[in-house]
Amino acid sequence: MLRGIALLTAALSLFAASVQAETYIVGSGGTYRPFEYENSQKQLEGFDIDIIKAIAKAENFEVKLVNTPWEGIFATLNSGDRDIIISGITITDKRQKMVDFSTPYFPAEQAIVVPSTSTIASLAALKTQKVGVVNSSTGDIVVSDELGKSSTAIKRFDNTPLMLQELYEDGIGAAVGDVGVVKYYIKTHPEKQFKLVSDAKFERQYFGIAVAKGNDALRNKINAGLKQIVADGTYAKIYRTWFDNNVPTLPAQ
Amino acid sequence: MSGFRWEIIQEYLPLFIDGALMTLKCTVICVITGTLWGLTLGLGRLAQAPHGPWKQVLRFAVQWPVRIYISAFRGTPLFVQIMVVHFALIPLFINPRDGILVSGGIMSADVARSLRADYGAFLSCIVAITLNAGAYVSEIFRAGIQSIDRGQMEASRSLGMTWGRTMRKVILPQAFRRMLPPLGNNAIAIVKDSSLASAIGLADLAYAARTVSGAYATYWEPYLVISLVYWVFTFLLSLMVQLLEKRFGKSDSR
Repeated sequence: MLRGIALLTAALSLFAASVQAETYIVGSGGTYRPFEYENSQKQLEGFDIDIIKAIAKAENFEVKLVNTPWEGIFATLNSGDRDIIISGITITDKRQKMVDFSTPYFPAEQAIVVPSTSTIASLAALKTQKVGVVNSSTGDIVVSDELGKSSTAIKRFDNTPLMLQELYEDGIGAAVGDVGVVKYYIKTHPEKQFKLVSDAKFERQYFGIAVAKGNDALRNKINAGLKQIVADGTYAKIYRTWFDNNVPTLPAQ
Repeated sequence: MSGFRWEIIQEYLPLFIDGALMTLKCTVICVITGTLWGLTLGLGRLAQAPHGPWKQVLRFAVQWPVRIYISAFRGTPLFVQIMVVHFALIPLFINPRDGILVSGGIMSADVARSLRADYGAFLSCIVAITLNAGAYVSEIFRAGIQSIDRGQMEASRSLGMTWGRTMRKVILPQAFRRMLPPLGNNAIAIVKDSSLASAIGLADLAYAARTVSGAYATYWEPYLVISLVYWVFTFLLSLMVQLLEKRFGKSDSR
């Protein structure tokens, strides 16, 4: 009898040790190079992907990455199809009503892209132009404030490459997008001859990792993991891989 | 499912109204151009001569190209066609840098630029849907024309009418009555298909819903609203088709 109990406890402790790490399904829209994009093997790659993998490793959980179209990406959290969304999402008040965000993991600002021959030098100069934005992006919000959100002069596209192709075809006079993405695009498409214009009106904003409203347990896990990878230098290493050596300091909230 | 938040729709109401008008505009234009283009293609598809030198010419220079065209446009997704038209076909003609019409001196670079900026998506949508609908409509015409008894053609030709006149006065009026239901079907399909052009920035109904759902990260309200509007549109269209059928059916002595 005693031996039986001993065996049982031994078995139980073994079972506890080999308990499966929790697996979370991570959604990410794969059209946002260099933050997330699909390689030729249909694997998601990019800065965001490296970050979430590092956080998962630090916090000892598994992630399953699923390419999720930006259109409808927030709805997948509340319907339970995805547990985590990391997709270059700027933290905004409106979005905070729908989902919960981790602490910021990347500083994002906007930039105006124009053909290199253009004379546009400020955000205010866009008032007379057709302006391209990525639908519901931060650029969309900024330009909507400037031109009025029902303005038909705003052309909304699904992704940055589509928007910049339209700029190249002169369908729009300027485009507003995230500086990281457009810089990368201009670097890889020198033949299109674009230039960047910045404006003091563009406020510093931050990307956050989204979880379903009220899922505090998972959010705290992600925050703790983020804190740890910043502290141990993993974050800086990933940042240097994708951008440059000016690793930013992240605010606590 | 949370409650329906009407204020979100209200805030963006102008966008929805403009979008509904744009969808209507696209539909009306595309139905007209698509039907005319379809008639042209349908006649080309039927072009044949029983013998003589024209037999081969009509078969290989008219009938076969039309067949290939129809097959291509019915065999590829409309969404893909809209993208190809918008980013390849239209720029080929009216690109300010090296468009055919611009370098050919037919239009100035400035005109090309403003055309693209003001009507680019609209033009691409019209062109793509017209090309696509033409392929479907041509088959409707072919079926309609072929359904009219051969004796009608023979009778009017033996009365000395030309082929064109026979088509105009005898065959097409009778065929048209039979073609009304499928043509109405096609018009309804065009209403719905125009929503695909929102991807190239055409500010139609679907575009309004995308904008709102993006801004508020909510899908229920905007998409429910536009599905109702689309439904009203298609319902009214089918009523119109029914009325036309009644109107054209009057001469049937039954």
